[in-house]
Amino acid sequence: MSAIAAPLGRIVQRRRRGTVFVRLLRRPPAAIAFAVVVLLVIGTVGAPLVAPYPQSQFDFTHLYAGPTLAHPFGTDELGRDMLTRVMYGGRTSLEIAALAMLIAMGVGCAWGFVAAFRRGWVDEILMRIADLTLGIPAILMGLVLVAAFGSSTASLVLILGILFTPATARLARSALLSELQTDYYLAAISVGAPPWQIVVRELLPNTLPVLIARASLVAADAIFVEASLSFVGLGVQPPAASWGTLLQHGYTALYRSYWYPIFPGIVILVAVLSLNLLGDNLQRVLDPSRR
Amino acid sequence: MRRYVVRRLLTSVGLLVLSSILIFCLLRVIPGDPTITKLGGSIEGVDPRALQAIRHDLGLDRSLPDQYIRWVGGIVRGDFGQSYYSQFPVTTLITQRIAATIELAVFAIVLGLLIAVPTATISAIWRNRWFDAVVSGFTAVGMATPAFVTGILLIVVFAVKLGWLPSQGYVSITQHPFESLKSALLPATTLAIAIAAPILRVLRASLADVASAPYIRTAAGKGLLRRAVVVRHVLPNAAIPALTMVGVIVGSLLGGTVIVEYVFARPGLGTLMVDSVFKRDYAVLQALVLLAAAVFILSSLVVDLLYGVLDPRLRVRGQESS
Amino acid sequence: MSDHVTADPILDVRDLVVEFPRGRDAITPVRGVSFTLDRRQRLGIVGESGSGKSLTALSLMRLLTPPGRIAGGQVLLGGQDLTQLSEREMARVRGGRLALVYQDPMSSLNPVHTIGRQIVEAIRTHEDVSRRVARARAIDLLGEVGLPAPARRFDSYPHQFSGGMRQRVMIAMAIAAGPDVLIADEPTTALDVTTQARIIELLSRLVDEHDMGVILITHDLGLAATFCDDLQVMYAGRIVERSRAEPLFERPVHPYTEALLGAICRLDFDVTQPIAAIPGQPPLPQQLPPGCPFHPRCPHAVARCSTEEPVSHALPDGRTAECHLAETRAEVTV
Repeated sequence: MSAIAAPLGRIVQRRRRGTVFVRLLRRPPAAIAFAVVVLLVIGTVGAPLVAPYPQSQFDFTHLYAGPTLAHPFGTDELGRDMLTRVMYGGRTSLEIAALAMLIAMGVGCAWGFVAAFRRGWVDEILMRIADLTLGIPAILMGLVLVAAFGSSTASLVLILGILFTPATARLARSALLSELQTDYYLAAISVGAPPWQIVVRELLPNTLPVLIARASLVAADAIFVEASLSFVGLGVQPPAASWGTLLQHGYTALYRSYWYPIFPGIVILVAVLSLNLLGDNLQRVLDPSRR
Repeated sequence: MRRYVVRRLLTSVGLLVLSSILIFCLLRVIPGDPTITKLGGSIEGVDPRALQAIRHDLGLDRSLPDQYIRWVGGIVRGDFGQSYYSQFPVTTLITQRIAATIELAVFAIVLGLLIAVPTATISAIWRNRWFDAVVSGFTAVGMATPAFVTGILLIVVFAVKLGWLPSQGYVSITQHPFESLKSALLPATTLAIAIAAPILRVLRASLADVASAPYIRTAAGKGLLRRAVVVRHVLPNAAIPALTMVGVIVGSLLGGTVIVEYVFARPGLGTLMVDSVFKRDYAVLQALVLLAAAVFILSSLVVDLLYGVLDPRLRVRGQESS
Repeated sequence: MSDHVTADPILDVRDLVVEFPRGRDAITPVRGVSFTLDRRQRLGIVGESGSGKSLTALSLMRLLTPPGRIAGGQVLLGGQDLTQLSEREMARVRGGRLALVYQDPMSSLNPVHTIGRQIVEAIRTHEDVSRRVARARAIDLLGEVGLPAPARRFDSYPHQFSGGMRQRVMIAMAIAAGPDVLIADEPTTALDVTTQARIIELLSRLVDEHDMGVILITHDLGLAATFCDDLQVMYAGRIVERSRAEPLFERPVHPYTEALLGAICRLDFDVTQPIAAIPGQPPLPQQLPPGCPFHPRCPHAVARCSTEEPVSHALPDGRTAECHLAETRAEVTV
């Protein structure tokens, strides 16, 4: 068996993943988006190190201030620096989104791969279930799940993960299916190598780029939905703060200081946009037939 | 053709039934207990018999299939059950608020299409690089901005700074058409932007696809000007494949409506839904989600039937000849 | 075959050059094509795929997809240079004075409009007539191109017709506004042989009845032989041989033409012999060999052929050939 495995390594094609990344960064929108995402991650995850003010520093002399040099994003109802609050809030938002994305990718891929590999009625059932849930808009589903599971940070991660699993499952399934129909796979099988081994060692890695592109889009959607849920008060609960809750506070204080909600809003926009651009460009780099 | 319509109708009904089961089960599998909400939050120190009484009132002491059948039976008669929280039947709650939501949705769809279709068409006729870049930018930003962010920005500009339009409230169109439009303009615009962006994207892609088809070259070869080629030949053919996506996007309108109604404090089904989630009022929730699923199924049914009307290749298959 | 009126040519193409810019360079698939066309003349342009013949047709109509563009030369239609017209003016020429029938009838008609509507559109774009008049004319045209029950078919959709019928509709649409020149780009390639014959017959009749000049572009030499009065052979973006049809087939001068004719299989050939295919491939426009573009595949090539590009040699009987050995070959093959 191992005598076959060695030449298999040469028959089987392995796409060079390094070049995908390089090609991606050659496109200006993708490069900028990538830089922005890195910046966001540093700014939020590294908030304790990078934030200009300590998180709970009050300044009662400057409530609801607009943007100034000292406070580029203004201040909130307690005089806290908004930039700092946005950075710490981002930590929560990105954490939730990242974890949700991992759950969605993990479960979704497992679901999709099993369906693709097994085919037959297992495939049918798994995909019908996925299809049913795709009919309901994400925010509505999210609300229902919040009603079901409550709205703590932990349940939010679970809810968002569940929300994006079916679509990911569909993608994983079609990605693996197209790999299973390639010539090199059929050739490897006909030589007598055990299919399972090939799938795990060669085919799955080949589906990685498509799935990574998808992961970026899922993360963007997760931020989007989490912000929406938190905005209506059904997401992250106080005292924890996320971008959505900041916007909620800003909304109630709208007539007092309209700057309050503007900056967190712009930051959400930028985050989602960058992740969308990244995912989109990754998809285009990987599949030249798409425009 | 008629058989096709009947088959589609049956499939839709089947989907609706399946969705109702899914929704019903989803809300029952959960850890929460509506009786708690009714009692105001906690069951400590409450007489177990009072608890039993409440459960009996809400019909929660029956078996699951029994509850489901009662629910569905009620729906068929137009009765969505009794709200767990308020003393009104669910149907009343819904009918009170449905007008606001429908007005908003219709207004938003019309506005959204008014933005998306002409822009895509102009883009195809003009083929100007800068215009295309701006449109792409608008599409990307529009799809990345949550509705409440757009809503808040619009409020800041038009309500707070300029004071032209109200930032809240609702006036029924039957009461006072002009005021109704004023109160709906900002929320409808917010929603319209949210749906115009993805529709624009799909439509542009479809237009670009069709523009490279041989029959478009034939049309140009007849001596038609670019404007006529795009409007009379490219657009009708591009609309057909784009229709599916448009149906999906319109269906997803419901999610955005929830948020927008909240931002603009419109008493519609969206705010009802948010309230119900807070209060764990499952009776209302399951009715609303079922309604949402029904709207989605209906819109995809309409799209499928529309295909049959718009694409002559799908119509009567009798007259093949040589 | 017919005797065409050799008066002022209705179409005069001079040194047409088509290029596709790519980055800093450009590919030039049409490298200086010149010819004339008279009323009632049936001109054939033959060549393999990639010779540039379809691009020539498209560029006459100025229907090249950007970034393709006409980089040089003139296209004189009734004395007016089409390359200098604005887009609006050119739109008036298209269909009205110059029309093109395309290769693929299956996908060259708009699937969501009735054929009647498409023909009426062709008429009303160039003439200010009422819908009723246009409809009547369209039905007449459909009858003229041989469609049975034209009045009923007016409201049919393209997908309800077979390929041959669709091509007839295309032809009706092309002549609807009464053009002076009709270009038919591989009009029968997608059709079966019997239908092919009928379509060619139709074209022949229409040429005489409507006083048009026709350019038939094809890779099918047999077809060209039956229909065309004059032939031009294209290779690598240039016309390498021009002649009246009969002499071309009997005594080809250019080695490429000779090889093409040699590659035609006839029923009385010996089946055990290999088909005399031309070795090699036609060159890509971006990889033209130095000197004569045909020289790598030419059995008669001499040293000069690989360094110097041949010019057009005038030969007796109005023939021309772009070959260094043109004169010698014209004498030898008698």
